[in-house]
Amino acid sequence: MIPFIRHFKLSVGLLCGLSVYAYGTQAPQHININQLSTTVEDVVVPLPNEIFGALNKLGTVNWRSHVRSDKGPNFTERPRIALLLGTVIADGFIAVQAEDAEAVKDIGQRVLALAKGIGVGNSITPHAKAIIEAADKRNWSNVRRELDRTQNSVQEAMNEVHDEKLSQLVSLGGWLRGTEVLTSVVNDHFSPDGAELLHQPDLLSYFQKRLQAMPEFDLPIIHQIRDALGQVKPLIDVGDRNIPPETVKKVNEITTRLEQGIVTRS
Amino acid sequence: MNGFVKIFFSAIFPLLLLTALQPSILASVDDAQSFALQAAEPYVKQGFQVREDYWGGDLAAGEKKAVRQQLFKGNEYWFWMGTEVDKAKVSVHVYDSDGKLAEEPDSWEKGHFAAAHVIPKATGSYFIIVSVEQSPEERTHWALVYGFR
Repeated sequence: MIPFIRHFKLSVGLLCGLSVYAYGTQAPQHININQLSTTVEDVVVPLPNEIFGALNKLGTVNWRSHVRSDKGPNFTERPRIALLLGTVIADGFIAVQAEDAEAVKDIGQRVLALAKGIGVGNSITPHAKAIIEAADKRNWSNVRRELDRTQNSVQEAMNEVHDEKLSQLVSLGGWLRGTEVLTSVVNDHFSPDGAELLHQPDLLSYFQKRLQAMPEFDLPIIHQIRDALGQVKPLIDVGDRNIPPETVKKVNEITTRLEQGIVTRS
Repeated sequence: MNGFVKIFFSAIFPLLLLTALQPSILASVDDAQSFALQAAEPYVKQGFQVREDYWGGDLAAGEKKAVRQQLFKGNEYWFWMGTEVDKAKVSVHVYDSDGKLAEEPDSWEKGHFAAAHVIPKATGSYFIIVSVEQSPEERTHWALVYGFR
């Protein structure tokens, strides 16, 4: 009886396996990337959190030393507010990594104020409230989810009123702050795997293209970022080669300078 | 009266029709996203953070679309695809920048759901190829979400 049951179970398992296999189409092991003619242009820009997660796996990071929750200046130019908003959301992810509830709550308030500054406050209010509540309960996964929702809602609200360019500046602000922290961490404790996280040439090209399509945003900080991306691109577009410590240091200097420009009134 | 009828059929009626149809057109990609999120649900319990942002559109049967995405070595990713057309068959596969299949063997396809599992061997750009393999509809809405841990 037992062998029968065993055989029966094996047969059922095999049948299920075969049916799943039969359902699926066999994917080719190799494709010619250059022949892809139907590429979706838009990329989903990774959250700073994605990079921080990978960094965490390389060793202990002193996230507290990167927490920044000061209020900073208020801007009137919408592109500057958008860049700052992206940066502040990234600061939220850093405060979550540091498990700093007070900083998270301050950042939640700051995000709401900035979102109001560009006219999308209404869609952010519930998220800001949820961020503060989750920080009070130290429910870090909820804070992360709400920060992601915040960025998404801001961008959806902007896209609805055809402010896609501002929406892209939010992503760019977040990416710059994330890259500043990434290079700072790797610069302090260099490892080839940590430096490899900088290998993002296509993402850089994406931002470069988007900035080129914003001639109407004639602000010094936008020009500085455009020039800086042009400097960073050849440094990180190294193919299969390792990114050396001096590159990490250089990218850190560039992104730190840009971040200063984003958060301070010039 | 004739004037009103003329204006109604030439201007107001098409507007009313458009207003009535618009939510159903818009709802379809949103519906596809709900199915993609449904496929993602069990993985959230395993610690995957599902992004709010997503890709979507519509494809004819046999048509493919490629999405370029930056992945980071050290993270683990799942991409989930879904459509609201329950008799459709969809697929999702992930390739590295050299065009080499980069997904794990536990990636799966089950009718109007499909998922690809990637543990990147290198940080860089990857291509996610989505396809509607079969569908009773002329155009099939699809949505792709991803999660990482």
